[in-house]
Amino acid sequence: MAIVPGMTDLTRPYWENANAGRLVTQRCGTCGRGWHPPLPACPHCHSTDLGWQEVGGDGTVYSCTVVRHATHAALADQIPYVIAIVELAEGPRLVTGITGCAPEEVRVGMAVRARFRPVADGVTLPYFEPT
Amino acid sequence: MIRREVAIVGIGQTEYAKALPRDAWDLAIEAVTGALADAGIDPADVDGMCRFAAPFEPVSEPMLVRALGIRELTFFAQSPLGGEALGAVVAHGAAAIMAGLARVVVVYRALSQSKGGRFGRADRGVPDPAVDIVVPEEDNRSFAWPYGLMSPGQLFALWAARYAAVHGLSAEDLTQALGSIALTQRRYAHNNPAAMMRDRKLDWETYRQARMISEPLRLFDLCLENDGACAYVLTSADTARSLRDDPVYVLSATQTLSPYREPMGIYTEDLLTLFPPATAERLFAQAGVTRGDVDVAEFYDATSFMPLRSLESYGFVPDGQAWRYVVDQGTGPDSPLPVNTHGGHLSEAYLHGMNGVLEGVRQLRGTACNQVADAAVALVGAPAGSAMILAR
Repeated sequence: MAIVPGMTDLTRPYWENANAGRLVTQRCGTCGRGWHPPLPACPHCHSTDLGWQEVGGDGTVYSCTVVRHATHAALADQIPYVIAIVELAEGPRLVTGITGCAPEEVRVGMAVRARFRPVADGVTLPYFEPT
Repeated sequence: MIRREVAIVGIGQTEYAKALPRDAWDLAIEAVTGALADAGIDPADVDGMCRFAAPFEPVSEPMLVRALGIRELTFFAQSPLGGEALGAVVAHGAAAIMAGLARVVVVYRALSQSKGGRFGRADRGVPDPAVDIVVPEEDNRSFAWPYGLMSPGQLFALWAARYAAVHGLSAEDLTQALGSIALTQRRYAHNNPAAMMRDRKLDWETYRQARMISEPLRLFDLCLENDGACAYVLTSADTARSLRDDPVYVLSATQTLSPYREPMGIYTEDLLTLFPPATAERLFAQAGVTRGDVDVAEFYDATSFMPLRSLESYGFVPDGQAWRYVVDQGTGPDSPLPVNTHGGHLSEAYLHGMNGVLEGVRQLRGTACNQVADAAVALVGAPAGSAMILAR
Protein backbone atom coordinates (compact mmCIF):
# COMPACT_ATOMS: atom_id res chain seq x y z
CA MET A 1 0.00 0.00 0.00
CA ALA A 2 1.34 3.40 -0.95
CA ILE A 3 0.06 6.94 -0.77
CA VAL A 4 -0.01 8.28 -4.31
CA PRO A 5 -0.93 11.66 -5.78
CA GLY A 6 -4.33 12.18 -7.33
CA MET A 7 -4.12 14.27 -10.48
CA THR A 8 -5.98 17.11 -12.10
CA ASP A 9 -5.47 18.39 -15.63
CA LEU A 10 -3.23 21.04 -14.08
CA THR A 11 -1.01 18.69 -12.08
CA ARG A 12 -0.90 15.63 -14.38
CA PRO A 13 2.15 16.73 -16.43
CA TYR A 14 4.25 17.01 -13.26
CA TRP A 15 3.52 13.43 -12.23
CA GLU A 16 3.70 11.97 -15.74
CA ASN A 17 7.13 13.51 -16.17
CA ALA A 18 8.15 12.12 -12.78
CA ASN A 19 7.05 8.67 -13.93
CA ALA A 20 9.40 9.09 -16.87
CA GLY A 21 12.26 10.14 -14.58
CA ARG A 22 12.07 13.87 -15.33
CA LEU A 23 11.69 16.60 -12.73
CA VAL A 24 9.77 19.53 -14.17
CA THR A 25 8.30 22.81 -12.98
CA GLN A 26 5.72 24.96 -14.66
CA ARG A 27 7.07 27.79 -16.79
CA CYS A 28 5.51 30.84 -18.36
CA GLY A 29 5.78 30.94 -22.16
CA THR A 30 5.45 34.71 -22.13
CA CYS A 31 7.79 35.98 -19.41
CA GLY A 32 9.87 32.83 -18.94
CA ARG A 33 9.59 32.58 -15.17
CA GLY A 34 8.96 29.29 -13.35
CA TRP A 35 7.22 28.22 -10.14
CA HIS A 36 5.85 25.31 -8.15
CA PRO A 37 3.22 24.04 -7.38
CA PRO A 38 1.38 24.61 -10.68
CA LEU A 39 -1.10 27.41 -11.33
CA PRO A 40 -3.62 28.00 -14.13
CA ALA A 41 -1.96 31.33 -15.02
CA CYS A 42 1.45 32.94 -14.55
CA PRO A 43 1.55 34.68 -11.14
CA HIS A 44 3.87 37.33 -12.60
CA CYS A 45 2.32 38.36 -15.95
CA HIS A 46 -0.99 36.43 -15.87
CA SER A 47 -0.26 34.77 -19.19
CA THR A 48 -2.01 31.45 -19.77
CA ASP A 49 0.65 30.37 -22.27
CA LEU A 50 2.21 27.89 -19.86
CA GLY A 51 4.54 24.97 -20.33
CA TRP A 52 6.78 22.65 -18.33
CA GLN A 53 10.52 22.90 -18.07
CA GLU A 54 12.83 20.13 -16.99
CA VAL A 55 15.06 21.21 -14.10
CA GLY A 56 18.51 19.89 -13.27
CA GLY A 57 17.52 18.08 -10.09
CA ASP A 58 20.10 19.76 -7.85
CA GLY A 59 18.93 21.47 -4.71
CA THR A 60 19.49 22.13 -1.04
CA VAL A 61 17.47 21.13 2.00
CA TYR A 62 15.48 24.20 3.10
CA SER A 63 13.94 22.47 6.11
CA CYS A 64 13.50 18.90 7.27
CA THR A 65 11.96 16.76 9.98
CA VAL A 66 12.44 13.16 10.99
CA VAL A 67 8.96 11.75 11.53
CA ARG A 68 8.90 9.19 14.33
CA HIS A 69 5.15 8.92 14.86
CA ALA A 70 2.94 7.71 12.02
CA THR A 71 -0.12 9.88 11.49
CA HIS A 72 -1.56 7.43 8.97
CA ALA A 73 -1.68 3.65 9.20
CA ALA A 74 -0.17 3.44 5.70
CA LEU A 75 3.04 5.03 7.02
CA ALA A 76 3.55 2.84 10.07
CA ASP A 77 6.15 0.61 8.40
CA GLN A 78 8.13 3.61 7.07
CA ILE A 79 8.86 5.18 10.46
CA PRO A 80 11.28 6.90 10.86
CA TYR A 81 11.21 8.82 7.59
CA VAL A 82 12.33 12.30 6.52
CA ILE A 83 10.08 15.01 5.14
CA ALA A 84 12.03 17.81 3.53
CA ILE A 85 11.39 21.04 1.72
CA VAL A 86 14.04 21.17 -1.00
CA GLU A 87 14.96 24.36 -2.79
CA LEU A 88 15.91 23.63 -6.38
CA ALA A 89 18.92 25.36 -7.92
CA GLU A 90 16.39 26.99 -10.28
CA GLY A 91 14.49 28.52 -7.34
CA PRO A 92 11.17 26.73 -6.75
CA ARG A 93 10.76 24.57 -3.63
CA LEU A 94 9.29 21.08 -3.40
CA VAL A 95 7.97 18.94 -0.58
CA THR A 96 9.82 15.65 -0.84
CA GLY A 97 11.53 12.85 1.03
CA ILE A 98 15.24 12.21 1.54
CA THR A 99 16.71 8.78 0.92
CA GLY A 100 20.25 7.48 0.64
CA CYS A 101 21.36 8.36 4.16
CA ALA A 102 20.29 7.78 7.75
CA PRO A 103 17.35 10.04 8.68
CA GLU A 104 19.32 11.77 11.44
CA GLU A 105 22.06 12.73 8.96
CA VAL A 106 19.79 15.07 7.01
CA ARG A 107 20.55 18.74 7.72
CA VAL A 108 19.17 22.07 6.61
CA GLY A 109 21.48 23.38 3.90
CA MET A 110 22.58 19.90 2.78
CA ALA A 111 23.17 19.56 -0.98
CA VAL A 112 20.83 16.99 -2.52
CA ARG A 113 19.98 15.66 -5.93
CA ALA A 114 16.76 14.20 -7.31
CA ARG A 115 16.44 10.46 -7.35
CA PHE A 116 13.33 8.81 -8.70
CA ARG A 117 11.74 6.10 -6.65
CA PRO A 118 8.92 3.75 -7.69
CA VAL A 119 6.35 3.68 -4.88
CA ALA A 120 3.47 1.78 -6.48
CA ASP A 121 2.51 0.18 -9.78
CA GLY A 122 3.01 2.86 -12.41
CA VAL A 123 3.84 5.57 -9.86
CA THR A 124 7.37 6.99 -9.54
CA LEU A 125 7.92 9.96 -7.28
CA PRO A 126 10.84 12.37 -7.12
CA TYR A 127 12.83 11.92 -3.91
CA PHE A 128 16.21 13.42 -3.11
CA GLU A 129 19.48 12.04 -1.78
CA PRO A 130 22.69 13.67 -0.55
CA THR A 131 25.19 14.44 -3.30
CA MET B 1 -11.42 51.44 12.55
CA ILE B 2 -13.06 49.32 15.20
CA ARG B 3 -11.32 51.10 18.06
CA ARG B 4 -13.73 50.66 21.03
CA GLU B 5 -16.85 50.82 18.82
CA VAL B 6 -17.60 47.15 19.49
CA ALA B 7 -17.31 45.04 22.63
CA ILE B 8 -17.41 41.46 23.84
CA VAL B 9 -20.24 41.25 26.37
CA GLY B 10 -20.55 37.53 26.99
CA ILE B 11 -18.41 34.42 26.99
CA GLY B 12 -19.39 30.76 27.28
CA GLN B 13 -17.68 27.39 27.14
CA THR B 14 -18.37 23.72 27.72
CA GLU B 15 -16.19 21.35 29.65
CA TYR B 16 -13.15 20.17 27.68
CA ALA B 17 -12.28 16.47 27.51
CA LYS B 18 -10.63 13.95 25.24
CA ALA B 19 -14.04 12.46 24.48
CA LEU B 20 -17.44 13.82 25.49
CA PRO B 21 -20.58 11.73 24.89
CA ARG B 22 -22.18 14.61 22.97
CA ASP B 23 -22.26 15.87 19.40
CA ALA B 24 -20.48 19.05 18.33
CA TRP B 25 -23.72 20.95 17.88
CA ASP B 26 -24.90 19.99 21.35
CA LEU B 27 -21.64 21.48 22.61
CA ALA B 28 -22.08 24.57 20.42
CA ILE B 29 -25.55 25.21 21.88
CA GLU B 30 -24.23 25.02 25.45
CA ALA B 31 -21.36 27.42 24.72
CA VAL B 32 -23.57 29.90 22.85
CA THR B 33 -26.40 29.90 25.40
CA GLY B 34 -23.77 30.27 28.13
CA ALA B 35 -22.26 33.30 26.38
CA LEU B 36 -25.70 34.86 25.89
CA ALA B 37 -26.64 34.26 29.54
CA ASP B 38 -23.34 35.84 30.59
CA ALA B 39 -24.25 38.85 28.43
CA GLY B 40 -27.85 39.02 29.66
CA ILE B 41 -29.16 38.75 26.10
CA ASP B 42 -32.20 36.70 25.05
CA PRO B 43 -31.15 34.18 22.36
CA ALA B 44 -34.11 35.34 20.28
CA ASP B 45 -32.42 38.73 19.93
CA VAL B 46 -29.30 37.38 18.21
CA ASP B 47 -29.21 38.64 14.63
CA GLY B 48 -25.61 37.93 13.58
CA MET B 49 -23.36 34.90 13.55
CA CYS B 50 -19.69 34.47 12.61
CA ARG B 51 -17.92 31.16 12.53
CA PHE B 52 -14.95 29.21 11.24
CA ALA B 53 -15.68 27.78 7.79
CA ALA B 54 -16.26 24.07 7.29
CA PRO B 55 -14.52 21.69 7.62
CA PHE B 56 -13.00 23.50 10.58
CA GLU B 57 -16.38 24.23 12.17
CA PRO B 58 -18.79 21.29 11.96
CA VAL B 59 -21.89 23.10 13.22
CA SER B 60 -23.69 25.22 10.64
CA GLU B 61 -25.67 28.38 11.30
CA PRO B 62 -29.03 26.81 10.31
CA MET B 63 -28.61 24.15 13.00
CA LEU B 64 -28.02 26.75 15.67
CA VAL B 65 -30.65 29.23 14.54
CA ARG B 66 -33.46 26.74 15.05
CA ALA B 67 -32.01 25.32 18.26
CA LEU B 68 -31.56 28.76 19.84
CA GLY B 69 -34.94 30.14 18.77
CA ILE B 70 -33.38 33.01 16.84
CA ARG B 71 -36.02 35.02 14.95
CA GLU B 72 -33.84 36.11 12.05
CA LEU B 73 -30.16 36.32 11.27
CA THR B 74 -29.49 39.45 9.24
CA PHE B 75 -25.75 38.79 8.99
CA PHE B 76 -23.79 35.54 8.97
CA ALA B 77 -20.30 34.89 7.68
CA GLN B 78 -17.69 32.17 7.61
CA SER B 79 -13.91 32.53 7.70
CA PRO B 80 -11.67 29.90 6.09
CA LEU B 81 -8.17 28.55 6.80
CA GLY B 82 -8.49 27.27 10.36
CA GLY B 83 -6.48 29.39 12.78
CA GLU B 84 -6.52 32.17 10.21
CA ALA B 85 -10.16 32.69 11.14
CA LEU B 86 -9.33 33.70 14.73
CA GLY B 87 -9.14 37.45 14.16
CA ALA B 88 -11.30 37.34 11.05
CA VAL B 89 -14.48 36.31 12.87
CA VAL B 90 -14.11 39.32 15.18
CA ALA B 91 -13.33 41.62 12.26
CA HIS B 92 -16.41 40.44 10.36
CA GLY B 93 -18.68 40.66 13.40
CA ALA B 94 -17.41 44.13 14.29
CA ALA B 95 -17.74 45.32 10.69
CA ALA B 96 -21.32 44.05 10.56
CA ILE B 97 -22.22 45.85 13.79
CA MET B 98 -20.57 49.10 12.71
CA ALA B 99 -22.30 48.92 9.31
CA GLY B 100 -25.68 48.36 10.92
CA LEU B 101 -26.06 44.88 9.44
CA ALA B 102 -26.50 43.26 12.86
CA ARG B 103 -26.79 44.29 16.49
CA VAL B 104 -25.88 41.12 18.42
CA VAL B 105 -23.31 38.82 16.81
CA VAL B 106 -22.49 35.39 18.20
CA VAL B 107 -19.11 33.82 17.43
CA TYR B 108 -18.60 30.15 18.20
CA ARG B 109 -16.30 27.19 17.69
CA ALA B 110 -17.31 23.61 18.50
CA LEU B 111 -15.13 20.54 18.19
CA SER B 112 -15.76 16.85 18.48
CA GLN B 113 -12.44 15.27 17.57
CA SER B 114 -13.43 12.04 19.32
CA LYS B 115 -16.27 11.59 16.81
CA GLY B 116 -15.20 13.66 13.83
CA GLY B 117 -11.57 12.63 13.54
CA ARG B 118 -8.46 13.74 15.36
CA PHE B 119 -6.47 16.59 13.80
CA GLY B 120 -3.26 14.63 14.43
CA ARG B 121 -4.44 11.64 12.37
CA ALA B 122 -4.68 11.69 8.61
CA ASP B 123 -6.44 8.34 8.33
CA ARG B 124 -10.02 7.46 9.14
CA GLY B 125 -10.38 3.85 10.14
CA VAL B 126 -8.09 1.07 8.98
CA PRO B 127 -7.01 1.26 5.33
CA ASP B 128 -6.99 -1.83 3.11
CA PRO B 129 -3.33 -2.87 2.79
CA ALA B 130 -3.92 -4.10 -0.76
CA VAL B 131 -5.17 -0.76 -2.07
CA ASP B 132 -3.10 2.37 -2.72
CA ILE B 133 -4.40 5.58 -1.21
CA VAL B 134 -4.95 8.24 -3.86
CA VAL B 135 -4.69 11.77 -2.46
CA PRO B 136 -7.21 14.06 -4.16
CA GLU B 137 -5.64 17.30 -5.34
CA GLU B 138 -6.88 20.18 -3.21
CA ASP B 139 -4.76 23.16 -2.18
CA ASN B 140 -1.59 21.29 -3.21
CA ARG B 141 -2.23 18.45 -0.77
CA SER B 142 -1.38 15.91 -3.48
CA PHE B 143 2.17 17.30 -3.53
CA ALA B 144 2.68 16.77 0.21
CA TRP B 145 0.75 13.73 1.40
CA PRO B 146 2.58 11.15 -0.78
CA TYR B 147 5.73 12.07 1.15
CA GLY B 148 4.04 11.53 4.50
CA LEU B 149 3.47 15.25 5.23
CA MET B 150 -0.09 14.69 6.40
CA SER B 151 -0.58 16.42 9.74
CA PRO B 152 -0.19 20.00 10.99
CA GLY B 153 2.37 18.91 13.59
CA GLN B 154 4.75 17.75 10.87
CA LEU B 155 4.56 21.09 9.09
CA PHE B 156 5.14 22.95 12.35
CA ALA B 157 8.20 20.76 12.89
CA LEU B 158 9.51 22.05 9.55
CA TRP B 159 8.98 25.62 10.82
CA ALA B 160 10.86 24.91 14.05
CA ALA B 161 13.71 23.13 12.26
CA ARG B 162 14.09 26.02 9.84
CA TYR B 163 14.10 28.50 12.74
CA ALA B 164 16.82 26.57 14.55
CA ALA B 165 18.97 26.40 11.40
CA VAL B 166 18.55 30.07 10.45
CA HIS B 167 19.35 31.37 13.92
CA GLY B 168 22.08 28.86 14.73
CA LEU B 169 20.37 27.07 17.63
CA SER B 170 21.73 23.78 18.88
CA ALA B 171 19.26 20.99 19.57
CA GLU B 172 19.67 21.77 23.28
CA ASP B 173 18.96 25.49 22.73
CA LEU B 174 15.69 24.66 21.01
CA THR B 175 14.72 22.06 23.61
CA GLN B 176 15.20 24.61 26.40
CA ALA B 177 13.16 27.24 24.58
CA LEU B 178 10.24 25.00 23.61
CA GLY B 179 10.31 23.22 26.97
CA SER B 180 10.20 26.53 28.80
CA ILE B 181 6.97 27.39 27.01
CA ALA B 182 5.43 23.95 27.53
CA LEU B 183 6.27 23.85 31.24
CA THR B 184 5.15 27.43 31.88
CA GLN B 185 1.80 26.78 30.25
CA ARG B 186 1.38 23.60 32.25
CA ARG B 187 1.95 25.55 35.47
CA TYR B 188 -0.75 28.03 34.42
CA ALA B 189 -3.09 25.10 33.79
CA HIS B 190 -2.66 23.82 37.34
CA ASN B 191 -4.68 26.85 38.55
CA ASN B 192 -7.35 26.52 35.85
CA PRO B 193 -10.28 24.23 36.78
CA ALA B 194 -11.27 23.97 33.09
CA ALA B 195 -7.84 22.82 31.95
CA MET B 196 -7.58 19.22 30.80
CA MET B 197 -4.04 19.09 32.22
CA ARG B 198 -4.89 20.78 35.53
CA ASP B 199 -3.75 17.84 37.64
CA ARG B 200 -1.03 16.50 35.35
CA LYS B 201 2.41 17.61 36.48
CA LEU B 202 5.04 18.13 33.82
CA ASP B 203 8.69 18.43 34.82
CA TRP B 204 11.82 18.83 32.71
CA GLU B 205 12.73 15.19 32.86
CA THR B 206 9.30 14.07 31.65
CA TYR B 207 9.35 16.71 28.93
CA ARG B 208 12.79 15.74 27.65
CA GLN B 209 12.15 12.02 27.77
CA ALA B 210 8.80 12.17 25.98
CA ARG B 211 8.92 10.59 22.56
CA MET B 212 9.74 12.61 19.48
CA ILE B 213 6.69 12.98 17.24
CA SER B 214 8.26 14.88 14.36
CA GLU B 215 11.72 16.24 15.16
CA PRO B 216 12.38 18.63 16.81
CA LEU B 217 8.88 18.46 18.35
CA ARG B 218 8.24 16.10 21.24
CA LEU B 219 4.91 14.90 22.57
CA PHE B 220 4.47 17.84 24.97
CA ASP B 221 5.29 20.39 22.26
CA LEU B 222 2.05 19.47 20.53
CA CYS B 223 -1.45 20.59 21.48
CA LEU B 224 -4.20 18.50 22.98
CA GLU B 225 -6.89 16.81 20.90
CA ASN B 226 -10.30 17.10 22.46
CA ASP B 227 -14.02 17.83 22.40
CA GLY B 228 -15.52 21.11 23.56
CA ALA B 229 -16.93 24.46 22.47
CA CYS B 230 -16.38 28.18 23.04
CA ALA B 231 -18.55 31.17 22.19
CA TYR B 232 -18.65 34.91 22.71
CA VAL B 233 -21.06 37.72 21.97
CA LEU B 234 -20.24 40.99 20.19
CA THR B 235 -22.36 44.12 20.25
CA SER B 236 -21.95 47.88 19.92
CA ALA B 237 -20.14 49.79 22.64
CA ASP B 238 -23.34 51.65 23.59
CA THR B 239 -25.35 48.45 23.95
CA ALA B 240 -22.43 46.85 25.81
CA ARG B 241 -22.39 49.59 28.43
CA SER B 242 -26.14 49.17 28.98
CA LEU B 243 -25.62 45.45 29.61
CA ARG B 244 -22.65 45.39 31.97
CA ASP B 245 -20.05 47.43 33.81
CA ASP B 246 -17.09 45.55 32.42
CA PRO B 247 -17.44 45.19 28.65
CA VAL B 248 -14.24 44.19 26.88
CA TYR B 249 -13.69 46.46 23.92
CA VAL B 250 -12.31 45.40 20.57
CA LEU B 251 -9.56 47.84 19.58
CA SER B 252 -8.56 46.16 16.33
CA ALA B 253 -8.71 42.85 14.47
CA THR B 254 -6.80 41.51 11.48
CA GLN B 255 -7.42 39.04 8.72
CA THR B 256 -4.58 38.49 6.26
CA LEU B 257 -3.85 36.46 3.15
CA SER B 258 -0.75 36.66 1.00
CA PRO B 259 0.55 34.34 -1.74
CA TYR B 260 1.48 30.71 -1.17
CA ARG B 261 -0.67 30.13 1.89
CA GLU B 262 -1.92 26.85 0.47
CA PRO B 263 -1.44 24.56 2.24
CA MET B 264 -0.42 26.33 5.46
CA GLY B 265 2.41 28.27 3.88
CA ILE B 266 4.76 25.43 2.90
CA TYR B 267 5.90 27.28 -0.21
CA THR B 268 6.10 30.84 1.11
CA GLU B 269 9.17 32.85 0.18
CA ASP B 270 10.33 32.60 3.79
CA LEU B 271 8.87 29.70 5.76
CA LEU B 272 9.26 31.72 8.97
CA THR B 273 7.48 34.83 7.71
CA LEU B 274 3.95 33.59 8.20
CA PHE B 275 2.38 36.98 7.55
CA PRO B 276 3.52 40.35 6.24
CA PRO B 277 5.10 42.52 8.97
CA ALA B 278 2.67 45.25 7.87
CA THR B 279 -0.18 43.19 9.32
CA ALA B 280 1.17 43.50 12.85
CA GLU B 281 1.77 47.22 12.34
CA ARG B 282 -1.85 47.59 11.19
CA LEU B 283 -3.09 45.67 14.22
CA PHE B 284 -1.34 48.07 16.62
CA ALA B 285 -1.89 51.26 14.63
CA GLN B 286 -5.62 50.67 14.33
CA ALA B 287 -5.82 49.79 18.02
CA GLY B 288 -4.00 52.98 18.99
CA VAL B 289 -1.74 51.13 21.42
CA THR B 290 1.92 50.08 21.42
CA ARG B 291 3.56 46.75 22.27
CA GLY B 292 4.45 48.19 25.67
CA ASP B 293 0.75 48.72 26.43
CA VAL B 294 -0.04 45.01 26.07
CA ASP B 295 -0.34 43.34 29.49
CA VAL B 296 -1.04 39.78 28.43
CA ALA B 297 -0.92 37.76 25.19
CA GLU B 298 -2.87 34.64 24.27
CA PHE B 299 -1.08 33.09 21.29
CA TYR B 300 -2.54 30.26 19.25
CA ASP B 301 -0.32 27.32 20.15
CA ALA B 302 -0.89 24.19 18.10
CA THR B 303 2.74 23.64 19.08
CA SER B 304 5.09 25.23 21.60
CA PHE B 305 7.00 26.81 18.71
CA MET B 306 4.09 29.10 17.80
CA PRO B 307 4.07 31.33 20.91
CA LEU B 308 7.85 31.61 20.55
CA ARG B 309 7.65 32.77 16.95
CA SER B 310 4.56 34.92 17.62
CA LEU B 311 6.53 36.93 20.19
CA GLU B 312 8.76 37.88 17.26
CA SER B 313 6.26 38.18 14.44
CA TYR B 314 3.93 40.44 16.45
CA GLY B 315 6.97 42.54 17.32
CA PHE B 316 7.44 41.96 21.06
CA VAL B 317 10.90 40.47 20.64
CA PRO B 318 13.31 41.01 17.69
CA ASP B 319 13.52 38.26 15.06
CA GLY B 320 15.72 35.38 16.11
CA GLN B 321 15.79 36.30 19.79
CA ALA B 322 12.62 34.81 21.23
CA TRP B 323 14.29 31.44 21.87
CA ARG B 324 16.68 33.17 24.24
CA TYR B 325 13.97 35.47 25.62
CA VAL B 326 11.63 32.63 26.65
CA VAL B 327 14.49 30.97 28.52
CA ASP B 328 15.83 34.14 30.19
CA GLN B 329 12.61 36.11 30.80
CA GLY B 330 10.01 33.40 30.35
CA THR B 331 6.30 33.73 29.70
CA GLY B 332 5.14 33.15 33.27
CA PRO B 333 3.23 35.37 35.71
CA ASP B 334 6.27 37.51 36.59
CA SER B 335 7.63 37.81 33.05
CA PRO B 336 7.44 41.05 31.01
CA LEU B 337 4.56 39.56 28.97
CA PRO B 338 2.60 36.63 30.42
CA VAL B 339 1.56 34.32 27.57
CA ASN B 340 -1.24 31.74 27.43
CA THR B 341 -2.31 32.26 31.01
CA HIS B 342 -5.08 29.62 30.78
CA GLY B 343 -2.58 26.92 29.76
CA GLY B 344 -3.21 27.35 26.05
CA HIS B 345 -3.80 24.59 23.56
CA LEU B 346 -0.93 22.67 25.09
CA SER B 347 -2.51 22.36 28.54
CA GLU B 348 -6.07 23.78 28.71
CA ALA B 349 -7.70 22.47 25.51
CA TYR B 350 -7.56 22.94 21.75
CA LEU B 351 -10.32 25.21 20.44
CA HIS B 352 -8.62 26.81 17.45
CA GLY B 353 -7.64 29.85 19.46
CA MET B 354 -11.14 30.62 20.69
CA ASN B 355 -10.34 29.61 24.27
CA GLY B 356 -7.54 32.19 24.08
CA VAL B 357 -10.11 34.87 23.26
CA LEU B 358 -12.16 33.85 26.28
CA GLU B 359 -9.04 33.99 28.45
CA GLY B 360 -8.23 37.45 27.12
CA VAL B 361 -11.74 38.58 28.12
CA ARG B 362 -11.36 37.11 31.63
CA GLN B 363 -8.00 38.83 32.08
CA LEU B 364 -9.54 42.19 31.16
CA ARG B 365 -12.53 41.60 33.42
CA GLY B 366 -10.15 40.72 36.23
CA THR B 367 -11.62 37.23 36.67
CA ALA B 368 -8.84 35.00 35.28
CA CYS B 369 -7.44 32.05 37.24
CA ASN B 370 -3.94 33.38 36.69
CA GLN B 371 -4.89 37.04 36.83
CA VAL B 372 -2.30 39.48 35.51
CA ALA B 373 -2.43 42.43 37.90
CA ASP B 374 -4.37 45.36 36.48
CA ALA B 375 -4.51 43.91 32.96
CA ALA B 376 -5.90 46.57 30.62
CA VAL B 377 -4.86 45.44 27.11
CA ALA B 378 -4.64 41.91 25.70
CA LEU B 379 -3.46 40.59 22.35
CA VAL B 380 -4.95 37.35 21.06
CA GLY B 381 -3.29 36.11 17.90
CA ALA B 382 -2.68 33.19 15.57
CA PRO B 383 0.76 32.45 14.11
CA ALA B 384 -0.20 33.57 10.61
CA GLY B 385 -1.38 37.07 11.53
CA SER B 386 -5.07 36.71 12.31
CA ALA B 387 -5.37 38.54 15.61
CA MET B 388 -7.19 41.03 17.81
CA ILE B 389 -6.32 43.56 20.46
CA LEU B 390 -8.82 43.81 23.29
CA ALA B 391 -9.04 46.34 26.13
CA ARG B 392 -11.16 46.95 29.20
